Amino acid sequence: MANLGTFLILAAFVTASGAFAACLAGARLRRNSLVQGGIGLFHVITALLLVASSVIVHAFVIGDYRIKYVQHYSNDQQPLFYKLASYWGGLDGSLLFWATLLAVFGSVAVHINRDRYRTLVPYVAATIAVVQMFFLFLLALHRNPFETFLTTAPTAGEGLNPLLQNFYMAIHPPLLYLGFVGMTIPFAFGIAALATGQLDDAWLKAVRRWTMTAWLFLTVGLALGGLWAYEELGWGGYWGWDPVENAGLLPWFTGTAFLHSVMVQERRGMLKIWNVSLVITTFFLTIFGTFMTRSGVVQSMHAFGEDRELAMMFTAFMVMLLVVSFGLVIYRLPLLRSRNELDSIASREAAFLANNWILLFSAFLILFATMFPTLSEAVTGERLTVATPFFNKWMTPIGLALLFLTGVGPLLAWRKSSVENLRTQFLWPVLAALVFAGGTWALGVPLWGSAICFGLCAMVTTTIAQEFIRGASVRQRTTGTDLFTALVGLFARSRRRYAGYIVHLGIVLIFFGFAGNGLERDEQIGMVPGQQLSLPPYTVKFKALTVTRDARKQMITAELDVLKDGKLLTSMYPARWYFDGRENEPTTEVALRRGFSGDLYLVLAAFDVEKQMATIEARINPLINWIWFGVGIMVIGTGIALLPERALSFAAARVPENAVTTTLMLLLIVSIGSARLRAQHIVTPESSIIGAPRSDLEREIHKEIICMCGTCGRKLVGECTCATAAAMRNEIAALTANGKTRAEIIDYFVKKYGSQEVLGAPIDKGFNRLAWLFPYAVGAAGMILAAAMAFRWSRRRDEDRAEAGAEGGVEGGPTPAAKDLEARLDDELRDLD
Amino acid sequence: MNKKTSRALVSVLIVGGTLTVLLARSVREDSQFYKHVDEVMNAPDAWYGKKLQLHGFVVDKSISWVPEKLDYRFTVKNGDQTVSASYTGIVPDGFKDGAEVVLTGKLTPAGFVVAPGGVSAKCPSKYEEQKRAGR
Repeated sequence: MANLGTFLILAAFVTASGAFAACLAGARLRRNSLVQGGIGLFHVITALLLVASSVIVHAFVIGDYRIKYVQHYSNDQQPLFYKLASYWGGLDGSLLFWATLLAVFGSVAVHINRDRYRTLVPYVAATIAVVQMFFLFLLALHRNPFETFLTTAPTAGEGLNPLLQNFYMAIHPPLLYLGFVGMTIPFAFGIAALATGQLDDAWLKAVRRWTMTAWLFLTVGLALGGLWAYEELGWGGYWGWDPVENAGLLPWFTGTAFLHSVMVQERRGMLKIWNVSLVITTFFLTIFGTFMTRSGVVQSMHAFGEDRELAMMFTAFMVMLLVVSFGLVIYRLPLLRSRNELDSIASREAAFLANNWILLFSAFLILFATMFPTLSEAVTGERLTVATPFFNKWMTPIGLALLFLTGVGPLLAWRKSSVENLRTQFLWPVLAALVFAGGTWALGVPLWGSAICFGLCAMVTTTIAQEFIRGASVRQRTTGTDLFTALVGLFARSRRRYAGYIVHLGIVLIFFGFAGNGLERDEQIGMVPGQQLSLPPYTVKFKALTVTRDARKQMITAELDVLKDGKLLTSMYPARWYFDGRENEPTTEVALRRGFSGDLYLVLAAFDVEKQMATIEARINPLINWIWFGVGIMVIGTGIALLPERALSFAAARVPENAVTTTLMLLLIVSIGSARLRAQHIVTPESSIIGAPRSDLEREIHKEIICMCGTCGRKLVGECTCATAAAMRNEIAALTANGKTRAEIIDYFVKKYGSQEVLGAPIDKGFNRLAWLFPYAVGAAGMILAAAMAFRWSRRRDEDRAEAGAEGGVEGGPTPAAKDLEARLDDELRDLD
Repeated sequence: MNKKTSRALVSVLIVGGTLTVLLARSVREDSQFYKHVDEVMNAPDAWYGKKLQLHGFVVDKSISWVPEKLDYRFTVKNGDQTVSASYTGIVPDGFKDGAEVVLTGKLTPAGFVVAPGGVSAKCPSKYEEQKRAGR
């Protein structure tokens, strides 16, 4: 199998060079058959790499330890999920994964655009093929994941690092890769546009959606990385400005800049050179980030280790990339001349420009600081580093300035804002900012950083609310529907603009969470059972230190009671886990109590089992969950922006009045139904860890009975981490301790919950299944119903329009005044679309 | 050169200049020397009081600590030179005998005083995301 894998990589390399040559030659000679052949080869690369990927996944699943890579990152004990995640757990595999993703993305992009952008597509395919060749070259010559042991192969694997055996960690790298790889597509279109000289707005239209998708993946990937660090590493923060983290942030900044400046080009025909350069820079930074973290150029806690040869190859590729791309830009400068000039500083273009400069500056500042040790060593021979304080010092004002522009930008008109215009637009936002900044400052929040941040958050929120209210009320007046319908109608009319506001709202929430950063408190103390630690408003009482084990690890757990105002709030269990075979690499298991106002974060920092002594670090992280919440809002906003054109057209329908309100109500009921279930899970402390069963009987029952909290998706009681499961396990322990038999215990639970639902495998299987399915079925049916109605309404609107057209376009409804208003609204709504 | 271009040029120069000056100053303030133990301990006098990131390996069985207070004392070695280090706080999971560590702090005649959260452990195997002790 390993040989097959190696062969596939080589074959893919050859195919990629064939695709490149055929596409380029075909496009230049205008020979369509050649281009078609090249594109065919381009799809063959995808097929080959998908097979190569399945070969390595197969090797992981069956545990083929003759392959070095598999041996190093997997073992038999690992759950299937982490066996699969091991694919991208190391350098070689992650490169193959990268190449595969790129091939898939490339094929999709080329396929979708094959007719619409007929002239661009061959160049797009050729560009992607070149990038592909680079990665395949690395894989074939230097970093072959299919390398086998030459002599006797070990029979067991070393296993994935325990720290990486975490849900977030398993899905965070693929998301980041999706973001990185996705940025290749806009780059390829940019190069194609430069090569063909078709530098009008067509290529921008083709890449807008791709950039947004890649940006979305990047955003979520970064957030998950932060969440992982926060929950798994136990140092209480989520971002440490490590080179690896920064590598993901750099293209995010330039990508964000591009998403904004695109609008200026679409609307005003300005910034053409800028846009094409941003696309190139973003792609370059994804490659540079990979180079930085994988070649050992920069010292990092989680770099892949030093690899001079890889560094050389990357350097050569990057130099070529820069020379060719910017060479093309310079060659095409005459075609990139701006159609307009900046009219005024108080215009939306100017705000976008400022936002772009700041974003670009942040990217290069972070790049500079990350590379600083290497640069200083090269220049002075002295290795100097800058650390977190440097980043925080610089990024705080930069972040606040960006937040400020988020609030200001939408308030300014294109071209030039009049004084009158400025006054009406800015009155409420500025007022809100002053009130909130002043108010929080008066309450003792430090002004710099936190209070200003709160003020700006208030300002941006007011801006967004004002935009929605004004837009919706104008729409309500002209279309005569209710407020909800008008609101959704706004999205239908100008999806990108209002979806953008939702993304901005997410940003505001994230900053709100950042502001809590300055208000955190922590306390650490060594305790014996009975002693307590005080961190107002909480008191943490140390009860016991227990040693338990399960099939894969030994667990040292501190049992703590958390009291608030003298009343017991909950019990929390921070722990350290020692995985078998990796005893000297314990993992810290943080105990977390989440809340809107902040988290209580407990870490077992050190312990002594014999003395029953534990050192606990307790920490309050205010507002931190708003960050994750904000990212969620950003995802929703981006999702709306990515919806196909017609998706919201039903809201623009006029026929069934208040239709949208009904639809929304329906959706709301459905979603609240499930949200209530979810919410329960959030309230229960996720911290309780699973105590190992003390007898075989207990272990057996843990596998037969399921958790009854109703939110865990019917997990086995022995696997679930929620509080209900913990209580049930205690019950089981008590029953076995009383000498009850298996049948008696099961009987007890069936009686207690009144049905066999509590059993993992119920006796009357079919019917019970159906009963559990019921709520889900109702939810799904509601969704389908809503979608079907929406679809019908939107169809009817089309028919109406056709009828209206047949009658000569006479509409009875709107008065001339309303028409005038609507024309104005339309004009305003077209702003960004 | 027309008026508009010159105005733009001047503002770019002013903003760019200010940023550069600020950047240079804060780099000087916040930067630390990144040194291996032997580089520093060959001539320790020159390094007293300077902000340092010290790269080395924890000497086997040199870690002693007071659990109640999280006070750690240990020896770090690189090449043929060693230095004793003291630290109070939480150490990362990877901190153990023989671990490759980077310590942030200051050198004093009594040994290396590690700043709070200044212990970072480097993981020996590749692509191991390693935890930090502080920020």
